[in-house]
Amino acid sequence: MAVTKRNPASAALNALTLAALALPGLMAGPVCAEDDEVDIQYGHYQEGARNLYGATSAFKPIQVDSLNTSARVKLADRLRFAFNYIQDTWGGATPMATAPLAFGGNGNYTGGGNYTPSGTVSGATPYLNNHNVYFDRQLNPLSQDASGNFVKNTQLVHTMSMASPETRRQGDFKFGYDWDESAVDVGGGISVENDYESRFGNVAGRWDFNQKLTSVNAGVSYTNSDTHAMIDHDAQPYIYDASTGGQSYNATYGDISHIVIGNNGQRTLYGNKQDWASNFGLTQVLNKNALFTAGVGYSYSAGYMANPYKVVQVAFIPPDQTGDILTGTTTALLEQRPNQRNQLSGSLGYIQHVDLLDGAFHFNYKLFKDDWGITSHTFEADWVQNLAAGWTVTPKIRYYSQSAADFYNPYLISNQAIQSNAVDNLGREIFVSAIHPNNGVQYYSTPLGYVNAKTGQLLNFFQQLKVEPVNKTVPFNRAALPKYYSSDQRLSGYGALSGGLTVAKQFAKGISLEAGGEYYTHAGDLKLGGGGEGSYANFDYWMANATLKLDLSALQLANGAMFGFNDHNDGKAGEDNGNRHKTHKGHHQHQHGNAPAGVMFAHTLAKAGDMMVGYRYMYDSESGGMLHNSQAVTDSTLINNACQGNACYVTPAAMTMNMHMIDLMVAPTDWLTLMLMPQFVDMGMTFRGLSGAGLPSDYNSEAAVLHSEHPHATGGVGDTGLYAMFNLLDFQSHHIHATMGVTAPTGDVGIQLRPIHTVDLGFIHYGMQLGSGTWDLKPSLTYTGQWQDVSWGAQLNGTIRTGNKNASGYILGNMLGSTAWLGYGITPWLSTTLRGLYSYEGTGQYQYNGTYYPIGPMDYLANYGRQSVDMGLGVSATVPEGTLQGNRFSVEWLQPVSDDVNGYQLRRDGTLSATWGFGF
Amino acid sequence: MGLFYKLLLMAGLLIIAVACTPVAPWQRGTLAKPAMALDPNPMQSMIRAHIHTSREAGSASTTGSGGGCGCY
Repeated sequence: MAVTKRNPASAALNALTLAALALPGLMAGPVCAEDDEVDIQYGHYQEGARNLYGATSAFKPIQVDSLNTSARVKLADRLRFAFNYIQDTWGGATPMATAPLAFGGNGNYTGGGNYTPSGTVSGATPYLNNHNVYFDRQLNPLSQDASGNFVKNTQLVHTMSMASPETRRQGDFKFGYDWDESAVDVGGGISVENDYESRFGNVAGRWDFNQKLTSVNAGVSYTNSDTHAMIDHDAQPYIYDASTGGQSYNATYGDISHIVIGNNGQRTLYGNKQDWASNFGLTQVLNKNALFTAGVGYSYSAGYMANPYKVVQVAFIPPDQTGDILTGTTTALLEQRPNQRNQLSGSLGYIQHVDLLDGAFHFNYKLFKDDWGITSHTFEADWVQNLAAGWTVTPKIRYYSQSAADFYNPYLISNQAIQSNAVDNLGREIFVSAIHPNNGVQYYSTPLGYVNAKTGQLLNFFQQLKVEPVNKTVPFNRAALPKYYSSDQRLSGYGALSGGLTVAKQFAKGISLEAGGEYYTHAGDLKLGGGGEGSYANFDYWMANATLKLDLSALQLANGAMFGFNDHNDGKAGEDNGNRHKTHKGHHQHQHGNAPAGVMFAHTLAKAGDMMVGYRYMYDSESGGMLHNSQAVTDSTLINNACQGNACYVTPAAMTMNMHMIDLMVAPTDWLTLMLMPQFVDMGMTFRGLSGAGLPSDYNSEAAVLHSEHPHATGGVGDTGLYAMFNLLDFQSHHIHATMGVTAPTGDVGIQLRPIHTVDLGFIHYGMQLGSGTWDLKPSLTYTGQWQDVSWGAQLNGTIRTGNKNASGYILGNMLGSTAWLGYGITPWLSTTLRGLYSYEGTGQYQYNGTYYPIGPMDYLANYGRQSVDMGLGVSATVPEGTLQGNRFSVEWLQPVSDDVNGYQLRRDGTLSATWGFGF
Repeated sequence: MGLFYKLLLMAGLLIIAVACTPVAPWQRGTLAKPAMALDPNPMQSMIRAHIHTSREAGSASTTGSGGGCGCY
């Protein structure tokens, strides 16, 4: 009702103001689109399965879940600030090499370290190394048919490798200052993932001319990136290492990267890369319906630019062979890329509005060239169609084509032996002791026996038995291989065609929702001018995104002013909403009570038609050592008791969880508030070997223990909550409401570890699955009250799992929480809270219904759930004026006071909650 | 490199050829529409750009805005 009342006058004002706001931003592009905007986006990327020519991959293709939160606010009249937080979690199979099908790279693992190259299921570990391969005299690969005859088979295939889930996080910021006809932006940020860290800074300027019909922009940036990739256990045996125990052959190439061998033989590749980039652009308004853009960009990169997880398959064919069939030996080498790259790009864009259809056509073309031999063309066209009632539909089409890098090669053939017998300068074969090959003593052979090369002494029979002379070998000649090589399909020649649709709906009050999808297909045949890579490298993916956009400036305009959440709201906002206060006397005061950040469902909305958007973040950390009930335990206790009658080998050292929740509330009636809460969760766990536990005797569990040397990570969409909140009692300053809700099992409970050491490790630890896997009932009862500057509240809440088991065969325990708090308003806009919390969670039941290898307490559901008492200290602030007026921020730290765990678990360090909310 | 400069030249010529019509501030209503923004879906573009840079060799950004390794 308030909306209709306001409509006629504010709609025109709104449109005018939006137009005025948009104009300066028009020239600057997306960097400084609308001021005071908060955007939250979820994206999902799913790649399709590759053609493995007869082998069926046992693993899901790669998928990525992304969360992106972006906020842009005006700090002062001309000063802008923007902040972005991006988080990606990915896992799944990708190609690690390419080889002729005849090499059998996707061979089937049949147990005990044996492979059958012609298996039907792509095995846990790729089959890349040290087996014989055959060629004809023209160097065509040969495969053997059922009767053992060699037949020419030139078909190539990717060798797939699976990655356990990993998470990347990026935070970046930008400060902007606007003059009347120019602007400057200064920004920077950091992107962190397990094996890669990148820091960047940028400066950009914009100048408007010709009454803002022409504007030019220029920018420079610098990025410094470190690679510290653990060459995974599986790849080690496949990556050729010439000097056993020494520096890896692969790392001796130049000084841009090196491999360090850890105590347990773990190899870590270190590299650094620096990028300097610059761009220059022009935007020209052509007429009242069209504009044109042009841009050039140049970047220079130096350092380690290879992908540490991609290898190139090399077939070594000794030259002195007779007959029509040549026998070679394959090995995999880490790819080698140049340590410098110059990239140049030019782009053109054209935007035309068509009044008749109320739509706009966008066209962009980009030409890219680098000194690696890659030239690419990108054509993009969008049609933005405005429809009635705030709907916009945008079909998009994109075509991309690139030529291959000069050093791209699906695989290499080298006409030399992979290793040969060393000879001295007289042409005699050198022998060393099989027992002590590196003791520096060399021998040569004579008809009488072996002779010590240094002393000239002939070994007698017994000495010879003791020495056991064997040929000294030397690895292949590196110089006979190309200087650079990569079989990464990204460097091959191909084309890609993609199409998508984006649908956006602008709601009243400055909220808009956007959902988009895109389907992409990559194929050698699609390359401009032909000559692309073979069809074995074809793949496709689809991407979907959903974005919630809140234009804070428009929200303010639409509302006149925001009512606050502050109980002591006696400022301007209160005056502007005087009507509401009168009509709903007392209502809104305690319903928006200053509850601590960690309390969910603490308030309902004041009256029919009210809406609220919030963001809730929770961080939970456990690293305080292992407990049994409330007592610290020793490693030997864990080994013997924590694994349900089996031995424990490792224990969690630390676990962290981050939850990002979006809070969408709407009140259809005065007594009912509905709430939707999607969430994004990520978790990380590190482990420690239990001292004295040793290694399991079975091969598979041993592999699981070795894998725990890597931190484990998961992330993605969690369970989605749907809640109805009922106002039960409103008496003076006392308020009671009941919440009935349910969480839908949208969080994945089937996450698996990547296979390693040829073992399919199966399900990851229970606590790292992203949801419960069951529909959970979430009832709660909340009481809040207030007297002058003091407020208080209490809540009882529960989580009841329904059903017997989830899709992965287990069920988590039920939960109960009770909490009470006291708040004090220090100033009208700042308040503080103190609270106590008791929580209970039961143990889980049953176990995974598929492969998994329990190696520590975290793999048994009896070690889940606990009773704990926490004390919490919180602070809340409501912005009293300015463009962010009415935005409320709260933070709370929960400190565990007592912890009584079921079975054996980590001690909790505490929980941090932070919320942002905005009602309108 | 020839093609690149030719395109640049064409772009320049195009601007001159159309001899930009003067557009008074009160005639800029259409230009200010969201559909006419240089990028109408900037958030989606960010995620698309990230995917493209980790799957294509010629899509690198020149603005130094992060993006990670994309080593998968």
